[in-house]
Amino acid sequence: MKFFTTLAKRPFLVLALILALTVVFVLSIAQNASLETDLNEYMPKTHPAFIASDEAENLFGIKDAILLVVEHPQSIYNTETLSKIEAITFALEQEFSEIETGGVTSLATADNIKSDDGFLEVQSFYEGLVEREEDLAQLKQEIESNSMIWGRNVSKDGTATLIIAELKEHTDSKALQAKLETWIQQWEGPERILVAGRPIVEASLAQLGPRDMAIMFPLVIITMIILLYLLLRSIRDTILNMIIVLFGTLLSFGAMTLFGVPIYAVDTMIPVMLIAIGVAYGIHMHNTIHYLMQEEANLSRKELAEKTLKQMTKPIIMTALTTAIGFLALMSSEVLPVRYFGLFAALGVLGEMVLALLLFPASIHLLGKPSYHHRGGVKNADQNSKSFARTQRLLVDHPLMIVIVSLSILLLGIWGTSMVWIDTSFLANFEKSSPIVQTDQLVNTKFGGTSTLNIILSSEHEGTMKEPKVLMAMESMQAELEAEAVVGNTLSLATFIKQMNLVMEENEEGKFSIPDSQELISQYLLLYEFSGDPKSLEKVVDYTYRAANITVQVKSDSSAVLSQLIDLIDSYRPFFASQGIEIGFAGSGYKAFVFSELLLEGQIISLIISFGIIVLLLALLFKNLWVGIIGIVPIALTAVVNFAVMGFLGIPLSSATALITSIAIGIGVDYAIHFLEHYANVRLEGMSGREASSDTFVHTGRAIVFNAIAVMGGFAILLFSVFPPNRQVGALIVLNMATSAIGTLTILVVLVKYLDRKGKFFPKSVNATKY
Amino acid sequence: MRTGTKQRVLTLLLLFFLVFSSLNAATYTGQEVMSEVYNRDSGDTMKANLIMSLTNSRGSIRERSIVQYRKDSEGIERKLMFFLAPSDVRNTSFLSFSYEDGRGDDQYIYLPALKRVKRIASDSKNDSFMGSDFTYDDMGTRHPDLDTHTYLRTETIDGYSVLVIESVPKDTAEYMRTLSWVVEGEWFGLKKEFYLPNGKLGKTLTIDTFSQIDDIWVITDMTMRNLEKNTSTRIQMDEVSFDLEIEDSFFSERQMKIGTRG
Repeated sequence: MKFFTTLAKRPFLVLALILALTVVFVLSIAQNASLETDLNEYMPKTHPAFIASDEAENLFGIKDAILLVVEHPQSIYNTETLSKIEAITFALEQEFSEIETGGVTSLATADNIKSDDGFLEVQSFYEGLVEREEDLAQLKQEIESNSMIWGRNVSKDGTATLIIAELKEHTDSKALQAKLETWIQQWEGPERILVAGRPIVEASLAQLGPRDMAIMFPLVIITMIILLYLLLRSIRDTILNMIIVLFGTLLSFGAMTLFGVPIYAVDTMIPVMLIAIGVAYGIHMHNTIHYLMQEEANLSRKELAEKTLKQMTKPIIMTALTTAIGFLALMSSEVLPVRYFGLFAALGVLGEMVLALLLFPASIHLLGKPSYHHRGGVKNADQNSKSFARTQRLLVDHPLMIVIVSLSILLLGIWGTSMVWIDTSFLANFEKSSPIVQTDQLVNTKFGGTSTLNIILSSEHEGTMKEPKVLMAMESMQAELEAEAVVGNTLSLATFIKQMNLVMEENEEGKFSIPDSQELISQYLLLYEFSGDPKSLEKVVDYTYRAANITVQVKSDSSAVLSQLIDLIDSYRPFFASQGIEIGFAGSGYKAFVFSELLLEGQIISLIISFGIIVLLLALLFKNLWVGIIGIVPIALTAVVNFAVMGFLGIPLSSATALITSIAIGIGVDYAIHFLEHYANVRLEGMSGREASSDTFVHTGRAIVFNAIAVMGGFAILLFSVFPPNRQVGALIVLNMATSAIGTLTILVVLVKYLDRKGKFFPKSVNATKY
Repeated sequence: MRTGTKQRVLTLLLLFFLVFSSLNAATYTGQEVMSEVYNRDSGDTMKANLIMSLTNSRGSIRERSIVQYRKDSEGIERKLMFFLAPSDVRNTSFLSFSYEDGRGDDQYIYLPALKRVKRIASDSKNDSFMGSDFTYDDMGTRHPDLDTHTYLRTETIDGYSVLVIESVPKDTAEYMRTLSWVVEGEWFGLKKEFYLPNGKLGKTLTIDTFSQIDDIWVITDMTMRNLEKNTSTRIQMDEVSFDLEIEDSFFSERQMKIGTRG
């Protein structure tokens, strides 16, 4: 505290320091800031699931791919469209350095294996111009009889076909998407050309989120400035408040760039959090100054500054520490960006704390005592206090009602919470009417699906994957998966063998099946190696037949859907284990799934850690475990209401929404600390329990309500965002601020009263007047 | 004076001889060298055991053991191959007819587990030979008229005088230029390099051992490396014998089903 009182006496030094640091941070951000958009950089690379997935991706050449849909209003089986497909296929590979050489697959590159009258043919479906009617008809017939193509690369209604382009690693999909969007225009008409696929969705998302935040954020700030001015009736305090939150944000990002840490997408949440938290510090400082001036109008500048600090240093440091610890708990996460997020958000909070404690006293020294203009003068302020006091009495007099209401909210909340589902989906972030969702739906209805899950089977023994019973198990697993509505199709070594068997048996009825002779399977494979396209075989089985890759096309990128499929696949573990085969998963869809699970798991763990730490801290600060326990009641209530509303509204629990819950806790605990601290202070100064409760309610309650209104009002702006996830952020912040404020001012008041009456609020060593 | 003249004539003769002989060495055109290679005596019939080891880019190896019969007559090269190992493909057989007149090859495969012979349509000699890094062309049947050949230089390798020939295909092809190292007088190659259209080296063929069996040079160990795909195929040959009595009828679907003799 001494540090703040002494430093605050040198306001110019404080200003110079802030200015100097601001310059350093601004320069560092301007020079070093780099936004990390490569999702791979987010993944914990040493996690066993990621290592296994990377190995399998390497072994089977599993790569991220973009999908080009060529859609003709009537039918693609005409000379022009077929030539166009061929031309696009070759142009893609030649003109885009981002695309793997030989990585473009389309109807023009696919091989057709067929056998008629003992004549086995492996040929492209077509090459060059297909002009004659009968050739077009024959091509159509050949495609429709080849299950490796029909419904996969060519839609069953014959109006659309896919061109699949595999991307090189670390491709800047944002830049590629922009280039492709203009590039495809030259090919359009009468066909429609659409671009889809996971990299495109990711790229759009990486662009949309921050771009939308950049538009919305100034609006949030402006709204908050207006609200703060209306509430505080002081330009000076409004400005001080804004300096605190902006400096906190600047410190956070400045430090990040100074340490050479890239800015990740999660970090867009840092300003959101720091504003919600920082405004609280400023308002509580303002509130105390305001209160002191009302109580003792004749205080000198120095006295006012010192008294303010005397009252506020402890609660502000306490609130900042609890919040910072909550953020630091995120460092337990396995995900690097989350760890950085926790670290730098905590730093920002501490910066705001120091600034709040310095700026207000320094402003009193520099500019004199503030004068607060209230409409209608002191009378109005009095009325304000009176209405607070009235409310307080209402509450204290009806404790049972409060308890009953709280309990019913709790029960309702638990019921709602049980409906919360965990889901992370990139596509869910877009409006249903957006072109990206529309294209995705088109691909999902006409083809197998835009998302891919790779199932990896692996064994110690060479040749295991050629065994009929292993292939048959693969086949039945595939059939079970394909029976799911979300699964479009599946591809594996079993599919190849079945197709081969059908062709070699001259399309005999029932021969699209796995033969039960291991020799025959081996001979088919040998023949395929001879005359087919060994490259496509390499994608489903490794060279030594120890490992196999089953590709599942899924019509949704939702992690809930993926988790359901994985459960189904896991039911095959016992059988495969009996054959000495292990099941694993691979691909970027799977990695994103594991990643979001890790993220969520980490956040839930850190929420629990935060709860524990907060109970402990409160207990230590008030030297009483009971205070710790009642102190977390409002935040527990906030968390439950938060989850319940998510459950009722169908907002899935994802990493973004889980982060919002941790803000709720950070802020809720601040309210509780301010309340408990003030109550304890005035009780120790000799007030009776009833007086203290009323005084705390009027004093702290005002700050809490102002804080809640300013932050809620500001973030309510996000409800008008065009980006659905930002709307969710806005809605949940508004909700959480409201529950925290109301919870603190109702149930906590009642609990404190109860505890104090029982003589359990203060430890025995403390001599407080009886309640 | 007379002796002087005699000496001068001798010197001139010697000089003339030297000049002539060096000219003689250089008079091979690329075309001639490659025709010699194409027409080199390789026996009318041949039987050999082949061990083919395919290595993929990750260093995994697949090994196959094959017995091969060949007969050249009336402008047709007939080949019949039976797989000996791995055991699950044993007796799988492969029959081919290549025609000197440029007709497309006829190829048949027999899968013993299916008990059926299938005719295979092959549209290109650039197709991989049995899924290996060799193409059918590489296996020695590419006609010299398909390329333009240029003699570049003579080198000495392991004591052999070796002619380096550059061949450029007349049609478009995967490799736009190949260099062959051909042993002068014996007309078998020691080494070959295949260049991609971008000028980079795409494939290399190296010959590790060769020997003379029944007066015919036989390459008994060679490796083709695909530098683009980072794969390689090694073919080793043993139990080579020439000029056996093999009937034309041996190269038949019937024989494919019966299996290898002896």
